[in-house]
Amino acid sequence: MKKLIAGAILLGASSMAFAQPGCGIGAMVWKGQSGIAPHVLAATTNGTFGNQTFGMTTGTLGCQTNQAVQSMAMYMDSNIDKVARDMSRGNGENLDTLAVLLGVDAADRDTFRKVLQDNFATIFPSSDTTSGEAVDAIVALLEQNDSLSKYVAA
Amino acid sequence: MGYMLRLGPALFWLALTVPVQADTPRDIQTLSQDPAWLTLGHYQPDTLGSGFTSQADDPDFFLSGDGKHSPQSELEATLAAIQRPGDGNGHAQCRFPARTTWLRKKLELSLPGVNCPAYEEWTETLNTETVTLVFAASYLNSPSSMFGHTFLRLDPPQEDAETNLLLANTISYAADAAAHDSEILFAYKGIFGGYPGITTVQPYYEKIRLYSDIEHRDLWEYKLNLTQPEVDLMLAHAWEIRDHNFDYYFFDENCAYRLLALIDVARPGTDLLDEVSTHAIPSDTVRWVVDKDLVAGVYYRPSAATSVAYSLETLPDDHQTLAAAVANGYVEPGAEEVRVLSPEERAHVLDATYDYVRYQSEADGWPREFAAPLSHELLTERSRIDNAEAPAPPPEPKIRDDQGHDTFRASLGAGQLAHREFTQLTLRPAYHDVLDPPAGYRAGAQLQFLRLDARYYTDNDELQLEQLIGVEIRSLSPRNQFFSPLSWQVGFGGRRTDTGTMRVLTPYLEGGAGGSWMLGKQIQAFAIATADLEIDDDLRRGYDAAPGADLGLLHQNNRFSLLAGTRTKAWIVSSQHRQDQVYARGNWHLGRDFSVFAEFTREDHYDRYQSTWQTGLHAYF
Repeated sequence: MKKLIAGAILLGASSMAFAQPGCGIGAMVWKGQSGIAPHVLAATTNGTFGNQTFGMTTGTLGCQTNQAVQSMAMYMDSNIDKVARDMSRGNGENLDTLAVLLGVDAADRDTFRKVLQDNFATIFPSSDTTSGEAVDAIVALLEQNDSLSKYVAA
Repeated sequence: MGYMLRLGPALFWLALTVPVQADTPRDIQTLSQDPAWLTLGHYQPDTLGSGFTSQADDPDFFLSGDGKHSPQSELEATLAAIQRPGDGNGHAQCRFPARTTWLRKKLELSLPGVNCPAYEEWTETLNTETVTLVFAASYLNSPSSMFGHTFLRLDPPQEDAETNLLLANTISYAADAAAHDSEILFAYKGIFGGYPGITTVQPYYEKIRLYSDIEHRDLWEYKLNLTQPEVDLMLAHAWEIRDHNFDYYFFDENCAYRLLALIDVARPGTDLLDEVSTHAIPSDTVRWVVDKDLVAGVYYRPSAATSVAYSLETLPDDHQTLAAAVANGYVEPGAEEVRVLSPEERAHVLDATYDYVRYQSEADGWPREFAAPLSHELLTERSRIDNAEAPAPPPEPKIRDDQGHDTFRASLGAGQLAHREFTQLTLRPAYHDVLDPPAGYRAGAQLQFLRLDARYYTDNDELQLEQLIGVEIRSLSPRNQFFSPLSWQVGFGGRRTDTGTMRVLTPYLEGGAGGSWMLGKQIQAFAIATADLEIDDDLRRGYDAAPGADLGLLHQNNRFSLLAGTRTKAWIVSSQHRQDQVYARGNWHLGRDFSVFAEFTREDHYDRYQSTWQTGLHAYF
């Protein structure tokens, strides 16, 4: 039950976020929550949380830029290790979620998965890669791809 | 005064409609007793007297000053307020959209149109077509999680590839405990009240992260068969209660309870709340929802722990050893031993190893300096293998948690204690022990509350309280080369203890820790070091303590369960006698409603041997 309540505390913290949509689904969810700059792997619960807000960790945030990219950034921020896993395998529901957030059409999904898997080492050059850096790398990769660049256009 | 003026037209209008619906004559007074209205106001009949009291503990939830205790004045105030001209988020129609919908329909009111931008934006964002009840199952090493947890997922229309249920929102009700509250204060307030309960909305992926990744709990998703108008009404009511305080109590007004109320509102007449008597165990509440034919489909989402255990288990033995070596840093992910495998085999080994390292980082706190570079290397290696067939996901358990035996158990048995015959009645309100039918429960887990054993000795017509268990928790989780959980137990209550000359009822506290190992598919051996404390003025020094050990075997299957072993306790303060026992207990399961049980204990204590045996029937309901 203790853990259940720990969960409840989390819920309490983010419940207010809901009333303020404005910057896509991710903003709706994350706004107001004290942020983290998660390193890619194995850093999820064990004390590497900083106090800076997410917006500072990546240049992609702010309501002026592509909302889909922001949504992806925010999803990556909280699910980075699962996204990395799916990316290395070239499939999985977290990778699909990224595709949904970016609005990637069904016809381009296979290319999307393949590009991300083939460039895993570019997206995550080290275990200290932050989710913001990974997002920037993904955007750069997609921009270079003829069929995928349209999803990240500013 | 204003209320009265507004009420006039409503009453006039009522007078007009009554003849139309001649078979259901109603006025404000009878309307205010309508079960649907009582549900919308969270009214419960008073234990004393004939009135009602709302469970809402927030004055803002009511439009009438007497609202908490008077469904009728609340109805009158609501009727007046929703007909008042005006606009904007503060209007009663915007604050209470579910009440408005219900009253409009019930009384065929033509209400002034009111714009509610906040509410409209909210429902638009939620974009809900169907609702799924999600049950977070218990997991073995946390028996307190055995109560489970439930929340609702709001599923958007699934018409295209653009929807993804990880992004769907969830509605949850939980205690809003202050972070600095101590565990004792927390337990006290949880039981006796003091925490506000709040309704929150959160994306499903965050719930998965909490329950499935961090707490290792499998999720069961019960898609409800609510229609779109029912879903809309549920959301409207969720909006009404969203920011309002309902005091939270662990046992009854808990997470599951408030969700039942939402379902009751969505489909008037389901009366799920009527099923709640003294406590609402989430797995029981799921049973009720299933029994009321509210479920259209059930989906299983294994936890990270279940998935990793399964993917390791399905590797061939030598690959398991390789995975363990890689995970522990003895072999590099890119080493020759791994490279020689076929791409598919290599993919499976790398996948399982990564999932294991990630699991250990979460569960056991593997240091980041070790786990992070290793994880990164594993994933980089894995990303070089294209088109490997994904390993099979863990199979869905054949028996769901809500299909296990019911949690209340009553038993009647007959037996002998040192040749004295007795009849025994046992009542156990909750929840499960390792000899009960295992289907739907975690193997090796036990949690009993408030169990009472009463014995009637036939030789001298004596009725005795044999034992009263307050709480008894046991967790026998097997160890293997990947996982090394501790097996442990703890309990307190009162029990008959032998002073050498008589058996006295003594308060006791006991605990233990050790290990357990699988010997076969369904049989495990355990070794537990135990400690016992008894306090009673019939003991020579007023109390006694005993270090000890318990070695045994446990076998569980859907037809029978067996527990046998030997136990020794060295009482060191008062009696200074060792107490040695061999014991064997078995239950033969007749479906999930009944078990025939038999138990035998042979004991050596105070330099004499005596045997106890008993046989009888357990009934679960």
